[in-house]
Amino acid sequence: MFDSQTAATYNLETVGDQENDFILNLGPQHPGTHGVLRVVLHMDGEYILSADPVLGYGHRMQEKIAETLTYTQVLPYMARMDYLSALSYNQAWVCLVEKMCGYEVPRRAEYIRVLTTELNRISSHFLWFGAFLLDLGAFTPFLHAFEDREKILDLLETLTGSRLTYCFFRFGGVGADVDSVFLKGAQDFVDHMRSHLASYHDLVTGNVIFQERTRDVGVILPFDTWGYGLTGPVLRGSGEKYDVRLREPYSIYPELDFEIPVEQTGDCLARYLVRLQEIEESLNIIEQTIAGMPEGPIRSKVPKIIKPPEGEATMSVETPRGELMIYAVSDGSKIPYRVKYRVPSFANLSIFSKMAKGQLLADALAVLGSLDLVIPEVDR
Amino acid sequence: MSIIETALHDVNVTVEAQDYQQSGIHAQAEIQAEQLKSVCRALHSFCFFLETVTAVDNLSTETMQGVWFFNHYRQSARFKVVIETGRNNPVFPSIGAIYPGAVWHERETGEFFGIVYDGSKDSRCLLLPEDVTFHPLRKDFKRPEQQIAGIH
Repeated sequence: MFDSQTAATYNLETVGDQENDFILNLGPQHPGTHGVLRVVLHMDGEYILSADPVLGYGHRMQEKIAETLTYTQVLPYMARMDYLSALSYNQAWVCLVEKMCGYEVPRRAEYIRVLTTELNRISSHFLWFGAFLLDLGAFTPFLHAFEDREKILDLLETLTGSRLTYCFFRFGGVGADVDSVFLKGAQDFVDHMRSHLASYHDLVTGNVIFQERTRDVGVILPFDTWGYGLTGPVLRGSGEKYDVRLREPYSIYPELDFEIPVEQTGDCLARYLVRLQEIEESLNIIEQTIAGMPEGPIRSKVPKIIKPPEGEATMSVETPRGELMIYAVSDGSKIPYRVKYRVPSFANLSIFSKMAKGQLLADALAVLGSLDLVIPEVDR
Repeated sequence: MSIIETALHDVNVTVEAQDYQQSGIHAQAEIQAEQLKSVCRALHSFCFFLETVTAVDNLSTETMQGVWFFNHYRQSARFKVVIETGRNNPVFPSIGAIYPGAVWHERETGEFFGIVYDGSKDSRCLLLPEDVTFHPLRKDFKRPEQQIAGIH
Protein backbone atom coordinates (compact mmCIF):
# COMPACT_ATOMS: atom_id res chain seq x y z
CA MET A 1 0.00 0.00 0.00
CA PHE A 2 1.21 3.50 -0.74
CA ASP A 3 1.57 5.57 2.38
CA SER A 4 2.55 9.19 1.87
CA GLN A 5 4.19 9.47 5.28
CA THR A 6 6.53 6.56 4.57
CA ALA A 7 7.20 8.03 1.15
CA ALA A 8 8.19 11.33 2.76
CA THR A 9 10.47 9.59 5.30
CA TYR A 10 12.36 7.83 2.54
CA ASN A 11 12.33 10.75 0.15
CA LEU A 12 10.38 8.74 -2.43
CA GLU A 13 8.90 10.74 -5.24
CA THR A 14 5.13 10.90 -5.17
CA VAL A 15 4.64 10.16 -8.82
CA GLY A 16 2.23 7.74 -10.39
CA ASP A 17 -1.11 6.31 -9.40
CA GLN A 18 -1.19 6.35 -5.63
CA GLU A 19 -4.29 4.14 -5.40
CA ASN A 20 -2.56 1.07 -6.79
CA ASP A 21 1.11 1.73 -6.02
CA PHE A 22 2.77 0.21 -3.03
CA ILE A 23 5.93 0.57 -1.01
CA LEU A 24 8.16 -2.47 -0.79
CA ASN A 25 10.84 -2.98 1.78
CA LEU A 26 13.84 -4.93 0.48
CA GLY A 27 16.29 -6.06 3.13
CA PRO A 28 18.21 -5.46 5.36
CA GLN A 29 18.28 -9.28 5.49
CA HIS A 30 17.84 -10.20 1.86
CA PRO A 31 20.16 -12.45 -0.14
CA GLY A 32 19.97 -10.10 -3.12
CA THR A 33 21.50 -7.17 -1.27
CA HIS A 34 24.69 -9.04 -0.22
CA GLY A 35 24.90 -7.76 3.28
CA VAL A 36 22.80 -5.62 5.53
CA LEU A 37 21.61 -3.15 2.93
CA ARG A 38 18.00 -2.07 2.94
CA VAL A 39 16.26 -0.52 -0.04
CA VAL A 40 12.83 1.08 0.22
CA LEU A 41 11.09 0.86 -3.13
CA HIS A 42 8.06 2.64 -4.50
CA MET A 43 6.53 0.09 -6.84
CA ASP A 44 3.99 0.20 -9.61
CA GLY A 45 3.34 -3.50 -10.05
CA GLU A 46 6.67 -5.05 -11.00
CA TYR A 47 8.20 -1.71 -11.92
CA ILE A 48 10.21 0.54 -9.62
CA LEU A 49 9.19 4.20 -9.57
CA SER A 50 11.78 5.31 -7.07
CA ALA A 51 14.19 3.70 -4.66
CA ASP A 52 15.96 4.81 -1.52
CA PRO A 53 18.87 2.78 -0.13
CA VAL A 54 18.94 2.91 3.67
CA LEU A 55 22.46 2.46 5.02
CA GLY A 56 24.11 2.17 8.37
CA TYR A 57 23.08 -1.29 9.60
CA GLY A 58 26.72 -2.33 9.70
CA HIS A 59 28.09 1.04 10.74
CA ARG A 60 31.01 0.88 13.20
CA MET A 61 32.40 4.42 12.99
CA GLN A 62 35.76 3.24 11.65
CA GLU A 63 36.98 6.82 11.25
CA LYS A 64 36.46 7.52 14.94
CA ILE A 65 38.12 4.23 15.88
CA ALA A 66 41.15 5.29 13.85
CA GLU A 67 41.34 8.55 15.81
CA THR A 68 41.68 6.65 19.09
CA LEU A 69 44.36 4.12 18.11
CA THR A 70 48.00 4.29 17.07
CA TYR A 71 48.96 3.90 13.42
CA THR A 72 49.98 0.29 14.01
CA GLN A 73 46.77 -0.56 15.85
CA VAL A 74 44.66 0.79 12.98
CA LEU A 75 46.16 -1.73 10.54
CA PRO A 76 44.03 -4.78 11.52
CA TYR A 77 40.87 -2.70 11.15
CA MET A 78 41.59 -2.29 7.44
CA ALA A 79 40.61 -5.88 6.76
CA ARG A 80 37.25 -5.37 8.46
CA MET A 81 36.02 -2.80 5.99
CA ASP A 82 36.23 -4.60 2.69
CA TYR A 83 36.62 -8.16 3.88
CA LEU A 84 36.89 -9.45 0.30
CA SER A 85 39.95 -7.40 -0.59
CA ALA A 86 41.63 -7.02 2.76
CA LEU A 87 45.08 -6.87 1.19
CA SER A 88 44.24 -3.83 -0.95
CA TYR A 89 43.19 -2.06 2.22
CA ASN A 90 46.35 -3.25 3.97
CA GLN A 91 48.34 -1.81 1.12
CA ALA A 92 46.59 1.55 1.20
CA TRP A 93 47.27 2.01 4.90
CA VAL A 94 50.89 0.87 4.93
CA CYS A 95 51.68 2.91 1.81
CA LEU A 96 50.06 5.96 3.37
CA VAL A 97 52.13 5.70 6.55
CA GLU A 98 55.27 4.95 4.52
CA LYS A 99 54.58 8.05 2.46
CA MET A 100 54.06 10.23 5.52
CA CYS A 101 57.15 8.95 7.33
CA GLY A 102 59.38 8.36 4.30
CA TYR A 103 60.05 4.67 4.96
CA GLU A 104 61.75 2.58 2.32
CA VAL A 105 60.29 -0.74 1.18
CA PRO A 106 62.59 -3.54 -0.09
CA ARG A 107 61.96 -4.72 -3.65
CA ARG A 108 61.15 -8.26 -2.60
CA ALA A 109 58.47 -6.95 -0.25
CA GLU A 110 56.91 -4.92 -3.06
CA TYR A 111 56.78 -8.02 -5.24
CA ILE A 112 55.18 -10.07 -2.48
CA ARG A 113 52.64 -7.30 -1.91
CA VAL A 114 51.61 -7.17 -5.53
CA LEU A 115 51.55 -10.95 -5.86
CA THR A 116 49.27 -11.43 -2.85
CA THR A 117 47.07 -8.42 -3.62
CA GLU A 118 46.39 -9.68 -7.13
CA LEU A 119 45.56 -13.15 -5.78
CA ASN A 120 43.17 -11.42 -3.42
CA ARG A 121 41.67 -9.46 -6.32
CA ILE A 122 40.94 -12.68 -8.19
CA SER A 123 39.35 -14.29 -5.13
CA SER A 124 37.16 -11.22 -4.71
CA HIS A 125 36.07 -11.37 -8.34
CA PHE A 126 35.30 -15.09 -7.97
CA LEU A 127 33.02 -14.41 -5.05
CA TRP A 128 31.31 -11.65 -7.01
CA PHE A 129 30.97 -13.97 -10.02
CA GLY A 130 29.28 -16.65 -7.95
CA ALA A 131 27.02 -14.30 -6.06
CA PHE A 132 26.03 -12.28 -9.11
CA LEU A 133 24.93 -15.37 -11.02
CA LEU A 134 23.14 -16.63 -7.94
CA ASP A 135 21.17 -13.36 -8.06
CA LEU A 136 20.24 -14.17 -11.62
CA GLY A 137 19.11 -17.64 -10.64
CA ALA A 138 22.10 -19.66 -11.84
CA PHE A 139 23.43 -21.94 -9.14
CA THR A 140 26.14 -23.99 -10.87
CA PRO A 141 28.62 -21.15 -11.63
CA PHE A 142 28.64 -20.33 -7.93
CA LEU A 143 30.04 -23.80 -7.16
CA HIS A 144 32.71 -23.50 -9.86
CA ALA A 145 33.78 -20.07 -8.63
CA PHE A 146 33.95 -21.11 -5.01
CA GLU A 147 35.98 -24.19 -5.80
CA ASP A 148 38.60 -22.04 -7.51
CA ARG A 149 38.39 -19.35 -4.85
CA GLU A 150 39.12 -21.99 -2.24
CA LYS A 151 42.47 -22.66 -3.92
CA ILE A 152 43.47 -19.02 -3.44
CA LEU A 153 42.32 -18.95 0.16
CA ASP A 154 44.31 -22.11 0.93
CA LEU A 155 47.35 -20.61 -0.73
CA LEU A 156 47.11 -17.31 1.12
CA GLU A 157 46.42 -19.11 4.38
CA THR A 158 49.80 -20.83 4.23
CA LEU A 159 51.50 -17.45 3.83
CA THR A 160 49.46 -15.05 5.94
CA GLY A 161 47.82 -17.33 8.48
CA SER A 162 44.29 -16.18 7.76
CA ARG A 163 41.76 -16.91 5.06
CA LEU A 164 39.80 -13.69 4.76
CA THR A 165 40.67 -10.79 7.05
CA TYR A 166 44.37 -10.63 6.31
CA CYS A 167 46.66 -8.40 8.28
CA PHE A 168 49.81 -9.29 6.41
CA PHE A 169 51.56 -6.11 5.32
CA ARG A 170 53.84 -4.25 7.70
CA PHE A 171 55.16 -0.71 7.61
CA GLY A 172 58.25 -1.04 5.46
CA GLY A 173 57.60 -4.58 4.28
CA VAL A 174 55.48 -7.67 4.69
CA GLY A 175 54.86 -10.10 7.54
CA ALA A 176 56.39 -13.26 6.10
CA ASP A 177 58.58 -14.36 3.26
CA VAL A 178 57.35 -16.50 0.40
CA ASP A 179 59.04 -19.85 -0.12
CA SER A 180 59.39 -21.99 -3.22
CA VAL A 181 56.33 -24.05 -2.22
CA PHE A 182 54.15 -20.95 -2.21
CA LEU A 183 55.52 -19.69 -5.51
CA LYS A 184 54.98 -23.09 -7.10
CA GLY A 185 51.44 -23.17 -5.72
CA ALA A 186 50.76 -19.72 -7.18
CA GLN A 187 52.20 -20.74 -10.55
CA ASP A 188 50.12 -23.94 -10.55
CA PHE A 189 47.03 -21.87 -9.81
CA VAL A 190 47.79 -19.52 -12.72
CA ASP A 191 48.23 -22.47 -15.08
CA HIS A 192 45.04 -24.07 -13.83
CA MET A 193 43.00 -20.87 -14.18
CA ARG A 194 44.29 -20.09 -17.66
CA SER A 195 42.64 -23.25 -18.94
CA HIS A 196 39.72 -23.24 -16.54
CA LEU A 197 38.59 -19.67 -17.23
CA ALA A 198 37.40 -20.81 -20.65
CA SER A 199 34.85 -23.02 -18.93
CA TYR A 200 33.46 -19.94 -17.15
CA HIS A 201 32.82 -18.36 -20.51
CA ASP A 202 31.36 -21.59 -21.89
CA LEU A 203 29.10 -21.95 -18.91
CA VAL A 204 27.90 -18.37 -18.52
CA THR A 205 29.00 -15.74 -21.02
CA GLY A 206 27.44 -17.38 -24.06
CA ASN A 207 24.30 -18.43 -22.23
CA VAL A 208 21.19 -16.91 -23.84
CA ILE A 209 19.31 -16.45 -20.57
CA PHE A 210 22.29 -14.73 -19.00
CA GLN A 211 22.68 -12.43 -22.00
CA GLU A 212 19.01 -11.51 -21.93
CA ARG A 213 19.13 -10.76 -18.23
CA THR A 214 22.17 -8.49 -18.43
CA ARG A 215 22.33 -6.86 -21.85
CA ASP A 216 21.02 -3.26 -21.83
CA VAL A 217 20.08 -3.62 -18.18
CA GLY A 218 21.24 -0.92 -15.77
CA VAL A 219 23.05 1.20 -18.30
CA ILE A 220 25.34 3.85 -16.80
CA LEU A 221 25.89 6.69 -19.22
CA PRO A 222 29.38 8.22 -19.37
CA PHE A 223 27.92 11.59 -18.33
CA ASP A 224 26.87 10.20 -14.95
CA THR A 225 30.22 8.64 -14.13
CA TRP A 226 32.06 11.72 -12.95
CA GLY A 227 29.03 13.32 -11.32
CA TYR A 228 28.70 10.31 -9.03
CA GLY A 229 32.45 9.69 -8.72
CA LEU A 230 32.27 6.11 -10.01
CA THR A 231 35.45 4.08 -10.13
CA GLY A 232 36.56 0.52 -10.72
CA PRO A 233 34.89 -2.01 -13.03
CA VAL A 234 31.61 -0.07 -12.76
CA LEU A 235 33.30 2.89 -14.42
CA ARG A 236 35.36 0.84 -16.86
CA GLY A 237 32.19 -0.87 -18.03
CA SER A 238 31.07 2.57 -19.21
CA GLY A 239 34.12 3.09 -21.39
CA GLU A 240 36.43 5.15 -19.20
CA LYS A 241 39.94 3.75 -18.89
CA TYR A 242 40.61 4.84 -15.35
CA ASP A 243 42.55 2.65 -12.99
CA VAL A 244 44.66 3.89 -10.11
CA ARG A 245 47.34 1.34 -11.02
CA LEU A 246 47.61 3.14 -14.36
CA ARG A 247 46.86 6.75 -13.44
CA GLU A 248 48.67 7.09 -10.12
CA PRO A 249 51.00 4.09 -10.15
CA TYR A 250 52.21 2.82 -6.81
CA SER A 251 54.42 -0.08 -5.74
CA ILE A 252 55.91 -1.91 -8.76
CA TYR A 253 52.92 -1.58 -11.09
CA PRO A 254 54.68 0.78 -13.53
CA GLU A 255 57.24 -1.97 -14.26
CA LEU A 256 54.64 -4.63 -15.00
CA ASP A 257 53.01 -5.32 -18.30
CA PHE A 258 49.22 -5.53 -18.09
CA GLU A 259 46.14 -4.13 -19.77
CA ILE A 260 43.22 -2.24 -18.26
CA PRO A 261 40.09 -3.90 -19.68
CA VAL A 262 37.38 -1.51 -20.85
CA GLU A 263 33.90 -2.13 -22.24
CA GLN A 264 31.78 0.52 -23.90
CA THR A 265 28.14 -0.43 -23.37
CA GLY A 266 27.80 0.43 -19.67
CA ASP A 267 25.28 -2.32 -18.90
CA CYS A 268 25.48 -5.25 -16.50
CA LEU A 269 27.05 -7.40 -19.19
CA ALA A 270 29.85 -4.88 -19.71
CA ARG A 271 30.66 -4.83 -16.01
CA TYR A 272 30.65 -8.63 -16.01
CA LEU A 273 33.04 -8.79 -18.97
CA VAL A 274 35.38 -6.22 -17.45
CA ARG A 275 35.71 -8.25 -14.26
CA LEU A 276 36.35 -11.51 -16.09
CA GLN A 277 39.04 -9.83 -18.19
CA GLU A 278 40.52 -8.39 -15.02
CA ILE A 279 40.95 -11.90 -13.68
CA GLU A 280 43.05 -12.71 -16.75
CA GLU A 281 45.13 -9.55 -16.33
CA SER A 282 45.69 -10.34 -12.67
CA LEU A 283 46.91 -13.78 -13.70
CA ASN A 284 49.41 -12.05 -16.00
CA ILE A 285 50.59 -9.83 -13.17
CA ILE A 286 50.97 -12.79 -10.81
CA GLU A 287 53.02 -14.68 -13.37
CA GLN A 288 55.31 -11.70 -13.87
CA THR A 289 55.86 -11.22 -10.14
CA ILE A 290 56.66 -14.92 -9.68
CA ALA A 291 59.15 -14.81 -12.55
CA GLY A 292 60.77 -11.59 -11.43
CA MET A 293 60.77 -12.17 -7.68
CA PRO A 294 64.07 -10.64 -6.49
CA GLU A 295 66.15 -11.92 -3.60
CA GLY A 296 66.70 -9.79 -0.55
CA PRO A 297 65.15 -8.65 2.71
CA ILE A 298 61.37 -8.47 3.17
CA ARG A 299 61.30 -5.70 5.73
CA SER A 300 63.22 -2.49 6.21
CA LYS A 301 64.04 -1.11 9.60
CA VAL A 302 61.31 1.16 10.91
CA PRO A 303 60.91 2.65 14.38
CA LYS A 304 58.74 0.76 16.88
CA ILE A 305 56.67 3.85 17.64
CA ILE A 306 55.41 5.50 14.51
CA LYS A 307 55.04 9.26 14.62
CA PRO A 308 54.53 10.81 11.20
CA PRO A 309 55.52 14.47 11.01
CA GLU A 310 52.79 17.09 11.17
CA GLY A 311 50.94 17.37 7.90
CA GLU A 312 48.50 15.53 5.71
CA ALA A 313 48.66 12.96 2.95
CA THR A 314 46.41 10.91 0.70
CA MET A 315 47.01 7.48 -0.72
CA SER A 316 44.85 5.78 -3.27
CA VAL A 317 44.95 2.19 -4.45
CA GLU A 318 42.85 0.18 -6.84
CA THR A 319 40.75 -2.34 -4.93
CA PRO A 320 38.63 -4.88 -6.85
CA ARG A 321 35.73 -2.45 -6.49
CA GLY A 322 37.47 0.75 -7.49
CA GLU A 323 39.48 3.56 -6.05
CA LEU A 324 40.10 3.53 -2.33
CA MET A 325 41.56 6.78 -1.08
CA ILE A 326 42.67 7.32 2.48
CA TYR A 327 43.18 10.88 3.63
CA ALA A 328 45.04 11.25 6.91
CA VAL A 329 45.95 14.30 8.93
CA SER A 330 48.78 13.98 11.45
CA ASP A 331 49.45 16.34 14.33
CA GLY A 332 52.86 14.82 14.99
CA SER A 333 51.66 12.42 17.68
CA LYS A 334 51.42 8.63 17.48
CA ILE A 335 47.65 8.75 17.01
CA PRO A 336 46.15 9.99 13.71
CA TYR A 337 44.35 13.32 14.05
CA ARG A 338 41.85 12.58 11.32
CA VAL A 339 41.41 9.67 8.93
CA LYS A 340 38.95 9.65 6.06
CA TYR A 341 38.24 6.56 4.00
CA ARG A 342 36.95 7.27 0.53
CA VAL A 343 35.54 3.86 -0.33
CA PRO A 344 34.59 2.79 -3.85
CA SER A 345 31.37 0.92 -3.03
CA PHE A 346 29.91 4.02 -1.38
CA ALA A 347 30.13 6.09 -4.55
CA ASN A 348 29.11 3.15 -6.74
CA LEU A 349 25.99 2.50 -4.66
CA SER A 350 24.96 6.17 -4.68
CA ILE A 351 23.98 5.91 -8.35
CA PHE A 352 21.65 2.98 -7.67
CA SER A 353 18.50 5.00 -6.98
CA LYS A 354 18.94 6.72 -10.32
CA MET A 355 19.53 3.43 -12.15
CA ALA A 356 16.63 1.63 -10.50
CA LYS A 357 14.01 4.08 -11.76
CA GLY A 358 11.72 2.41 -14.27
CA GLN A 359 13.39 -0.99 -13.92
CA LEU A 360 11.74 -4.29 -13.14
CA LEU A 361 12.44 -5.40 -9.60
CA ALA A 362 14.29 -8.49 -10.82
CA ASP A 363 16.47 -6.30 -13.03
CA ALA A 364 17.23 -3.99 -10.14
CA LEU A 365 18.61 -6.99 -8.25
CA ALA A 366 20.79 -7.79 -11.26
CA VAL A 367 21.99 -4.17 -11.19
CA LEU A 368 22.77 -4.37 -7.47
CA GLY A 369 24.71 -7.56 -8.10
CA SER A 370 26.64 -6.05 -11.00
CA LEU A 371 27.81 -3.14 -8.83
CA ASP A 372 29.74 -5.65 -6.67
CA LEU A 373 28.95 -4.05 -3.33
CA VAL A 374 30.50 -4.88 0.00
CA ILE A 375 28.17 -3.35 2.53
CA PRO A 376 30.56 -3.23 5.53
CA GLU A 377 32.74 -1.10 3.28
CA VAL A 378 29.87 1.27 2.48
CA ASP A 379 28.84 1.51 6.13
CA ARG A 380 32.35 1.43 7.61
CA MET B 1 49.58 24.86 -17.17
CA SER B 2 47.93 21.94 -15.46
CA ILE B 3 44.37 20.89 -16.18
CA ILE B 4 43.34 22.22 -12.77
CA GLU B 5 44.54 25.72 -13.62
CA THR B 6 42.97 25.49 -17.06
CA ALA B 7 39.62 24.49 -15.59
CA LEU B 8 39.68 27.27 -13.02
CA HIS B 9 40.95 29.94 -15.39
CA ASP B 10 37.75 31.97 -15.26
CA VAL B 11 37.15 31.49 -11.56
CA ASN B 12 38.97 33.91 -9.33
CA VAL B 13 40.77 31.49 -7.01
CA THR B 14 44.44 30.93 -6.22
CA VAL B 15 45.58 27.39 -6.98
CA GLU B 16 48.64 26.36 -4.98
CA ALA B 17 50.69 23.48 -6.34
CA GLN B 18 51.49 20.80 -3.75
CA ASP B 19 54.29 18.29 -3.41
CA TYR B 20 52.63 15.25 -4.98
CA GLN B 21 55.28 12.72 -3.91
CA GLN B 22 54.90 13.77 -0.31
CA SER B 23 51.19 14.35 0.02
CA GLY B 24 49.47 12.65 -2.92
CA ILE B 25 47.73 15.94 -3.75
CA HIS B 26 48.61 17.86 -6.90
CA ALA B 27 47.10 21.20 -6.01
CA GLN B 28 44.87 22.81 -3.46
CA ALA B 29 42.88 26.01 -3.16
CA GLU B 30 41.56 27.79 -0.11
CA ILE B 31 38.41 29.54 -1.20
CA GLN B 32 35.43 31.42 0.19
CA ALA B 33 32.14 29.60 0.70
CA GLU B 34 30.37 31.61 -2.00
CA GLN B 35 32.99 30.57 -4.58
CA LEU B 36 32.46 26.83 -4.10
CA LYS B 37 29.63 26.42 -6.58
CA SER B 38 31.40 28.25 -9.38
CA VAL B 39 34.55 26.19 -8.72
CA CYS B 40 32.49 22.99 -8.87
CA ARG B 41 30.72 24.02 -12.06
CA ALA B 42 34.09 24.72 -13.69
CA LEU B 43 35.52 21.38 -12.51
CA HIS B 44 32.41 19.48 -13.60
CA SER B 45 32.56 20.94 -17.08
CA PHE B 46 36.16 19.70 -17.32
CA CYS B 47 35.04 16.19 -16.27
CA PHE B 48 36.67 16.19 -12.87
CA PHE B 49 35.07 13.51 -10.73
CA LEU B 50 34.18 13.99 -7.11
CA GLU B 51 36.30 11.83 -4.84
CA THR B 52 34.85 12.81 -1.52
CA VAL B 53 33.41 15.54 0.66
CA THR B 54 34.74 15.62 4.19
CA ALA B 55 35.80 17.93 7.00
CA VAL B 56 38.50 18.40 9.61
CA ASP B 57 37.68 19.76 13.04
CA ASN B 58 40.45 21.88 14.58
CA LEU B 59 39.78 22.33 18.25
CA SER B 60 42.94 24.35 18.91
CA THR B 61 42.13 27.06 16.38
CA GLU B 62 38.35 26.82 16.82
CA THR B 63 37.89 26.26 13.10
CA MET B 64 36.10 23.74 10.93
CA GLN B 65 37.67 22.93 7.58
CA GLY B 66 35.37 21.76 4.85
CA VAL B 67 37.39 19.61 2.43
CA TRP B 68 36.42 18.56 -1.09
CA PHE B 69 38.54 16.20 -3.19
CA PHE B 70 38.37 16.07 -6.96
CA ASN B 71 40.34 14.00 -9.42
CA HIS B 72 40.39 13.41 -13.13
CA TYR B 73 39.89 10.16 -15.08
CA ARG B 74 42.20 11.04 -17.95
CA GLN B 75 45.16 12.39 -16.03
CA SER B 76 46.47 12.35 -12.53
CA ALA B 77 45.23 15.60 -10.98
CA ARG B 78 44.03 15.38 -7.40
CA PHE B 79 42.66 18.74 -6.35
CA LYS B 80 41.75 19.66 -2.80
CA VAL B 81 39.37 22.50 -2.08
CA VAL B 82 39.29 23.91 1.44
CA ILE B 83 36.85 26.29 3.07
CA GLU B 84 37.49 27.35 6.63
CA THR B 85 34.80 28.52 9.00
CA GLY B 86 34.11 28.72 12.74
CA ARG B 87 33.38 25.41 14.43
CA ASN B 88 30.15 26.60 16.06
CA ASN B 89 27.25 25.79 13.73
CA PRO B 90 29.32 25.46 10.55
CA VAL B 91 27.47 25.91 7.26
CA PHE B 92 28.82 25.11 3.78
CA PRO B 93 27.04 25.36 0.45
CA SER B 94 25.75 22.09 -0.96
CA ILE B 95 27.06 20.98 -4.35
CA GLY B 96 24.50 18.20 -4.78
CA ALA B 97 22.88 20.00 -7.72
CA ILE B 98 26.17 19.99 -9.64
CA TYR B 99 27.63 16.69 -8.46
CA PRO B 100 24.70 14.39 -7.61
CA GLY B 101 27.09 11.98 -5.91
CA ALA B 102 27.90 14.67 -3.36
CA VAL B 103 24.51 14.29 -1.66
CA TRP B 104 25.50 11.13 0.19
CA HIS B 105 28.93 12.47 1.10
CA GLU B 106 27.29 15.61 2.48
CA ARG B 107 24.75 13.61 4.47
CA GLU B 108 27.57 11.56 6.01
CA THR B 109 29.85 14.49 6.79
CA GLY B 110 26.90 16.54 8.02
CA GLU B 111 25.88 13.98 10.63
CA PHE B 112 29.46 13.23 11.73
CA PHE B 113 30.47 16.86 12.24
CA GLY B 114 27.21 18.73 12.75
CA ILE B 115 27.70 20.62 9.51
CA VAL B 116 24.74 22.02 7.59
CA TYR B 117 25.07 21.84 3.83
CA ASP B 118 22.98 24.77 2.73
CA GLY B 119 20.63 24.01 -0.16
CA SER B 120 20.92 20.21 0.03
CA LYS B 121 17.73 18.50 -1.07
CA ASP B 122 18.34 15.61 1.31
CA SER B 123 19.82 16.20 4.75
CA ARG B 124 18.67 13.07 6.56
CA CYS B 125 21.15 10.97 8.54
CA LEU B 126 22.85 8.42 6.33
CA LEU B 127 24.89 6.06 8.50
CA LEU B 128 23.87 7.04 12.03
CA PRO B 129 20.38 6.33 13.40
CA GLU B 130 17.87 9.06 12.56
CA ASP B 131 17.43 10.15 16.20
CA VAL B 132 21.05 10.77 17.21
CA THR B 133 21.79 14.03 18.99
CA PHE B 134 25.60 13.90 18.87
CA HIS B 135 28.27 14.31 16.21
CA PRO B 136 30.95 11.67 16.81
CA LEU B 137 33.79 13.15 14.78
CA ARG B 138 33.76 16.52 16.51
CA LYS B 139 36.86 16.67 18.67
CA ASP B 140 34.90 17.65 21.79
CA PHE B 141 32.67 14.57 21.48
CA LYS B 142 33.11 12.17 24.38
CA ARG B 143 32.44 8.50 23.95
CA PRO B 144 29.88 7.02 26.37
CA GLU B 145 32.55 5.34 28.52
CA GLN B 146 34.42 8.64 28.74
CA GLN B 147 31.26 10.44 29.80
CA ILE B 148 30.67 7.98 32.63
CA ALA B 149 34.21 7.81 33.96
CA GLY B 150 34.94 11.46 33.37
CA ILE B 151 38.19 10.65 31.57
CA HIS B 152 39.41 12.44 28.47
